[in-house]
Amino acid sequence: MLSMQNISMVYRTDTVETHALRQFNLDVGEGEFVAITGPSGSGKTTFLNIAGLLEKFTSGRYELDGKDVSSLSDAATSRVRNEKIGFVFQGFNLIPDLNVFDNVDVPLRYRGFNGAERKQRIERVLDMVGLASRQKHLPAQLSGGQQQRVAIARALAGEPRFLLADEPTGNLDSQMAMSIMELIQEINRGGTTIIMVTHDPTLANLAGRNVHIRDGRVSDSDADTQLAEVAVG
Amino acid sequence: MQFGPIWRALMRNKTGAILIALQVAVTMAIMVNAISIIQTRAEAMARPSGIDEPNIFYISSIGFNDAFNERVAVEEDLAALRAMPGVVDALQTNSVPLSGGGWSMGLQTEPGDDMDGVGVAVYFVDDHALDTYDLELVAGEFFSPTDIEWREGSSSTWPDRTVITVAMAEALFGEDEWRSGVGKTVYINNNEPMTVTGIIDRMQAAWNGWDGVERTMLVPQRTLFGSSRYIIRAEPGLRDELMPQVEEMLAQSNKDRIVRGLRTMEETRERSYRGDASMIKLLMFTIGLLLLITALGIVGLASFSVSRRTKQIGTRRALGATRADIAGYFMSENLLISGMGVLLGAALTVGLNMWMVDAFDLDRMEVWLVPAAMGVLLVVGQLAVFGPARRASSVPPAVATRTV
Repeated sequence: MLSMQNISMVYRTDTVETHALRQFNLDVGEGEFVAITGPSGSGKTTFLNIAGLLEKFTSGRYELDGKDVSSLSDAATSRVRNEKIGFVFQGFNLIPDLNVFDNVDVPLRYRGFNGAERKQRIERVLDMVGLASRQKHLPAQLSGGQQQRVAIARALAGEPRFLLADEPTGNLDSQMAMSIMELIQEINRGGTTIIMVTHDPTLANLAGRNVHIRDGRVSDSDADTQLAEVAVG
Repeated sequence: MQFGPIWRALMRNKTGAILIALQVAVTMAIMVNAISIIQTRAEAMARPSGIDEPNIFYISSIGFNDAFNERVAVEEDLAALRAMPGVVDALQTNSVPLSGGGWSMGLQTEPGDDMDGVGVAVYFVDDHALDTYDLELVAGEFFSPTDIEWREGSSSTWPDRTVITVAMAEALFGEDEWRSGVGKTVYINNNEPMTVTGIIDRMQAAWNGWDGVERTMLVPQRTLFGSSRYIIRAEPGLRDELMPQVEEMLAQSNKDRIVRGLRTMEETRERSYRGDASMIKLLMFTIGLLLLITALGIVGLASFSVSRRTKQIGTRRALGATRADIAGYFMSENLLISGMGVLLGAALTVGLNMWMVDAFDLDRMEVWLVPAAMGVLLVVGQLAVFGPARRASSVPPAVATRTV
């Protein structure tokens, strides 16, 4: 599903070179639920940006769904993001001036679906996240948990092959966080591949596999979710 | 295009959009009405005077002592002028088209003090007028040498014949019947008969702002008013060379008068329409300034909007928007704002025009100006927003994952 080989990412200024990822290797299989953990500055966000095709990397090879995506044009990259990847952001990233329906509609319009198809998809995913009755609400009229559910609905409406979640519960209290995690697990059980970046060991434990990043490299990876053994720091 | 969600988003954050729409509307109202005024003035300025302006100049001769015999001077001057190499023809007259000063009378088709006359500009000319002015006789006959009389300054009588312009003939005899005016009698000073012997195509009066500027009559008289004005028509290309020669010749030929006021018809036209030309420049500057201010307003609003929504743009990019989608979003948003502005502007434009027509007696604007201005302002809006839209499209999608 996702294969990164020797990915390096170097940020350069006139005087400084920062190696955000060094010879980074990772393979994620179809239907996996992988948690990415690591301390601040370890390269988690850079990995997420590259995995989600939000940023170009300096060197290496990245295959997504069996295709090399390292040399795609900007428009082609946008299309891959739209069709194959769903994003869930820590801060929800809902558009404050659009109501719930229109927020979920955003990626579907870029996909070019007709009105009827979009409506059917939006209603289905909002029903799935339990917000079917809040279609006309603005984000500001929803709780944090509800906003993240809208963001998840938006990510799922296009039926992506995999979901990238960046600290999806980072701005939520523990009760809401667990509720969101249950929803993400349920999505994974439905067959969607999920990569979740998190600081929280408890949440990482809920993933099928945990990958720990340190200094831009995979420092440890397990398949049995024993996060304690790859303890942070 | 995503007009639906863009419109709904705009309506939730509408202050800036409404202000820009109002600015567009006011700009349009002022612009269209200013263009309408420019059109009217430009059309007036473009009206042909009916004479060979590029080759005509004139000069005045004024006797200043008792030894000056005006009649002799005029005859000698005209003979000398007509004999000068490069002069096509010359005549003495009382007034110059578009000069701002002249005679006017009233002509009527029936005698009587209670009859309404039609205002007409009067030029006293001789049988050389057709050649001197390069006038076109379209009906009847022009004056012969034997028709020409002398007119004293104190005279209040009129010769028995006249030649009038088509516009004057139309005013007297009807638009379709103007040719029938040849041979008919008209009355000046209410009761003095004159026969219309000929009709010329066009010759403007001295006053460009007069609504009867095309209504002119030629009277076969040379004047003895103490001051003579000579109209001289030069062969093409020789006018500027001839002017000092004419001035010198007249000054030297008779020491009992002064010559002054040497001026070309082109300069007379320029002076005549100087106010209109200035008004046109001022209005065009105002239109340009308003368009610039409006464009800057749009740039400002769009730039602010891009800065405020950087994260939102990054999120849209992350969700699959291409650069073109992002640029298209801001262009569409501007199209909606400007669209509101021009719709409101259309109503405002018509209202302002109606008021101006009523208050200042202006011509009604041409209807096509409204859709044309709407189009121009929409294009200006799109051009103005293009820069900010391009900047928005360059926001990288990675902005979506930044927490600050």
